[in-house]
Amino acid sequence: MQAATRREQKVVTRDRLVNAAMALFARKGIVATTTADVARSVRMSHGVVFLHFPRRDDLVIAVIDEFGRRLAVEFRQAFEQNLGLRAVLQAHLRVLAEFEPFYARLVTEAPMLPPKVRSTLMMLHAAVSARMFMALERDRKAGRARKIERPLLFNTWIGLVHHYLVNRDVFATGASVIAERGDTLVNHFMTLVRP
Amino acid sequence: MAEKCPACGSCGMPLEKPEDYALGDVTRPYCRYCTDARGELLPYDQVLETNARFYVESQGVTPAAANAMARAMLADMPAWRGRN
Repeated sequence: MQAATRREQKVVTRDRLVNAAMALFARKGIVATTTADVARSVRMSHGVVFLHFPRRDDLVIAVIDEFGRRLAVEFRQAFEQNLGLRAVLQAHLRVLAEFEPFYARLVTEAPMLPPKVRSTLMMLHAAVSARMFMALERDRKAGRARKIERPLLFNTWIGLVHHYLVNRDVFATGASVIAERGDTLVNHFMTLVRP
Repeated sequence: MAEKCPACGSCGMPLEKPEDYALGDVTRPYCRYCTDARGELLPYDQVLETNARFYVESQGVTPAAANAMARAMLADMPAWRGRN
């Protein structure tokens, strides 16, 4: 019983650290944030942070993993309902909106981040690409889309979305560029894939 | 936070459904892509190649970049930790 409580406490602490890190990364930048900053923001000792996340990169990867898990849930629902590319793009944007300030920092700083972090982000992209392509093929068989090579299908979409995210200060009047421009981006992209 | 599912100890792929696991057995630590027909872990080079191919096919990155990213991804995985 006591062991279970300790395990639960460990999970709660870990989640607090991941949430605090995500907020700090978004506000201060990923490269500029240290594990000591994260410890201070949750009023925990640096040792506690180190116990859960020995390196700052482990915290960044934990946030990306959280993003990936949310995305997997949304994609699974879209697929179980047999939905097409539009639904996959909308699901992608829904999760991006939840993580928007962090994700915008992540893509802005990606070339400066260590290989493991960048590889994790690119693996997440690979998963999105796979889902997009499966949905496109489904639409194509139904006569709603044309044939597009998988890398260009994904790169065209992510290039568009990242441009708006990285420059969100000039594309949005409020806090979320995805909320303001997301529908336009999806509608535009769907016109590009039409047969 | 979203509910966490286990991940493959070789490549990190989320293990969401029984069919994601080696031989569909949820007690196994690795995914179906990192294991052979008997459920045994594949050699490192084969797992590396599969992961690198995933980067190339999904985003069109160069084979060299894909190989480097796959190496970085596998480096900390329980199955390959400590490997040079």
